[in-house]
Amino acid sequence: MFVCFSKLLNEPVMDKDRELLGKLYEIITVPTEVYPKLWAMVVVRGIFKKRYATIPWDNVRERDKKGIYLKCKKRALNFQDTIDYQDKLALRRDILDQQVIDTYNYNVIRVNDIHLLEVNQDLMLAHVDIGVKGLMRRLGLEKIVGKAQDRLVPWKFIQPLSINPVSKTIKINIPQKNFRSIPPAELSDIMMDLDPKQKIGLFKTLDLDTRIRIFGRLDFKTQREIAEEIGPKDSAEILKEIPDDEATDFLERMPRHRVDFILEKMETKEVKKLSRLLGYASDSAGGLMTTDYIAIDKNTIVEAALNIIKEAAFPVETFQYVYITGENKKFVGLTNIRRLISASPDEVISSTTFPNIPYVHLEDGVQEVAYLMEKYKCQTLPVVNEGHILQGIITIDDILSQVIAIAWRKTRRKVPRTL
Amino acid sequence: MVKKGVWPRILLFLALMGPGIITANVDNDAGGIATYSICGANYGYKMLWVFVPILITLIIIQEMCSRMAVVTGKGLADLIREEFGVRIAFYAMVVLVLANIANTMANFAGIAAAGELLGIGKYFLVPVVAILIWWMVVKGTYKSVEKIFLVACLFYVAYIISGFLARPAWDEVFSNFTRPSFHLGQKDFVFMFIGLVGTTIAPWMQFYQQAAVVEKGIKIENYNYNKLDVIIGSFMVNIVAFFIVVVCAATLFKAGIRVDSAKDAALALAPFVGRYCYLLFAFGLLNASIFAASILPISTAYSVCEGMGWELGVDKRFREAPHFYFLYTFVLAIGAVIILLPRIPLIPVMYFSQVANGILLPFVLIFMVKLINNKRLMGKYTNSGFYNILIYIVIGSLISLSLIGIFV
Repeated sequence: MFVCFSKLLNEPVMDKDRELLGKLYEIITVPTEVYPKLWAMVVVRGIFKKRYATIPWDNVRERDKKGIYLKCKKRALNFQDTIDYQDKLALRRDILDQQVIDTYNYNVIRVNDIHLLEVNQDLMLAHVDIGVKGLMRRLGLEKIVGKAQDRLVPWKFIQPLSINPVSKTIKINIPQKNFRSIPPAELSDIMMDLDPKQKIGLFKTLDLDTRIRIFGRLDFKTQREIAEEIGPKDSAEILKEIPDDEATDFLERMPRHRVDFILEKMETKEVKKLSRLLGYASDSAGGLMTTDYIAIDKNTIVEAALNIIKEAAFPVETFQYVYITGENKKFVGLTNIRRLISASPDEVISSTTFPNIPYVHLEDGVQEVAYLMEKYKCQTLPVVNEGHILQGIITIDDILSQVIAIAWRKTRRKVPRTL
Repeated sequence: MVKKGVWPRILLFLALMGPGIITANVDNDAGGIATYSICGANYGYKMLWVFVPILITLIIIQEMCSRMAVVTGKGLADLIREEFGVRIAFYAMVVLVLANIANTMANFAGIAAAGELLGIGKYFLVPVVAILIWWMVVKGTYKSVEKIFLVACLFYVAYIISGFLARPAWDEVFSNFTRPSFHLGQKDFVFMFIGLVGTTIAPWMQFYQQAAVVEKGIKIENYNYNKLDVIIGSFMVNIVAFFIVVVCAATLFKAGIRVDSAKDAALALAPFVGRYCYLLFAFGLLNASIFAASILPISTAYSVCEGMGWELGVDKRFREAPHFYFLYTFVLAIGAVIILLPRIPLIPVMYFSQVANGILLPFVLIFMVKLINNKRLMGKYTNSGFYNILIYIVIGSLISLSLIGIFV
């Protein structure tokens, strides 16, 4: 048997002697299980001067059409002007009519009703109703919809978004392992559908690893709000770990003094690299490239090269390619893991290089880069300066987003959010 | 925080300005211009003082909206749904849709009238403008076009100039402005008063303004700049309105010409103020009407979908947000199509929009006061006691005005 939470709201609550105590105002749960049991109810009495009392759910003797009957007497209850249940999950305050995340369909949804499952006197949270039928039922217009399907989401996939007023974070349900398994691309889409406060609350709740994976996928406005909220130290922490091109995309749109605050918190090497990248126009090869790649001296033997690759700890967008450089980091050639593995271990790596490797200069434009990638059917392009010294690489996904943006602009259409 | 110099402050203000000024300027829509012209032509300078209470009321209400937006980061429909439940939110949205359809209609009527003044037939102009608006918003080019409208609002300065050119009797203007006169016995006079207030303070504005401030992502530290934005916007709209009344009073009222629409007013003005001024009135009406007609349908769709929990936003595809696109298209299409029906009585259309606004306004204001005094939502940014008293006086008078307007 399912009971709708909206039907329980405002039900009269009576004590042992069937004397009216007040109306049911709120139900509180402690979400430690997958389908949590109800923990307590809040009863309200009075019209102008409202007073509230919390009653444990075990205290319920029975429910019928007329209302809810308790085991205790009125005297045993303590009505107060305000009660605090900030740390608990309150169905009316946090779920009903609020926005929550559906971690199964990767969606932000608004809850029209909550279904409670009745199992021997106990009620537990079963699912939330997000369909038009639930909406109409609450409006008392059920007949209009007729045979429409209910749209329900099981409770275990629901992540509430209520923000703790002190820590300004969102409490992740303990059984909500699903939440952590949302792919970064979907999680960033979900974030952009949230209110500004919820966005920041959710982001602050995430661990560093997840933060790093989604930061580059957010739009600039959200990134900026987040950076301002978490401060330069934490922002630096994230920017250090994400690919350089994503970091510079963000930094070059931030106001100068904010960038300085953030760079201050990074190590000198990192700062030098980012400031150099920031100097290039955003649609030039220099602006698009990343400096996260593996470059190995041409005289290294294959075995040593493979060891270097194994130990490379920094985030490398394209692991399969290895760039071969000569003296002063001059660009010599390109090889890949397959070529290295099939070569004999004591060969020098310059002998494994591909023939005819295309490359671009720092100031070359997007179109030039895209053209070369298409012509040579390659997934990365090395970028060199006038002295033919390797500066960075451009990967096909960076070019793709640029080219798509250009193509869309040409057909006068906006890039849809879900691509 | 480091103390900022003058220039950084000015730059910051320029970056944050917008919502208040846009909302206020959309306020001077077709209905507004019509009401102000009629007021000036039929009552002379007598009602100029009304702009003082209107200004104060407008600032107070808009300020509350911005504050709620900045502190909660949520739209008004969102908050109504979350705090008052689905039933209240639903019926509020139904009335909002009706009121906004009527408002959209009134603005398409304005477009039609402006077209006639400029010699363009309404059967051509209205559909073209409607399709253009629809396309612009759905394709996401609206944000850039909005700036054009905003710049076009600068032409309203011309109203002020023509106010001077019309050589009004300044001593009379001044004495009427500073000494309120109220003729409770005259029904027409009371109606005019309600019309002036009603056209300047409409319920949809609260929804629009709050959404715009949320969208802008203004933070509480910078809230004072936002307040300035609201105040400047409110002054702009009232000064322009003031001068429209002055122009019409100095010419039409003096010559004893009575009018009952913006079009009549513009036509009647031509001999007094010359051809350029006449064109100005026509273009002003056209700009104001198109501006409002582009904002109203989309603002309706946003509010309703927000409140009902449907997918929304022009960056979603039709398949993803069907309710949103349907509502948007529906409000826009109805507004335009009804104006094209032959022999459509425009005066009742305007009246109906006033009534729908009048019913909704008290509720919206009560919701706002309850929300803004909610400690859980607003923390330390709830209203002060004095401010609350002021607001209750404002709301009390607005509600009684609405009731008088509807039932008398």
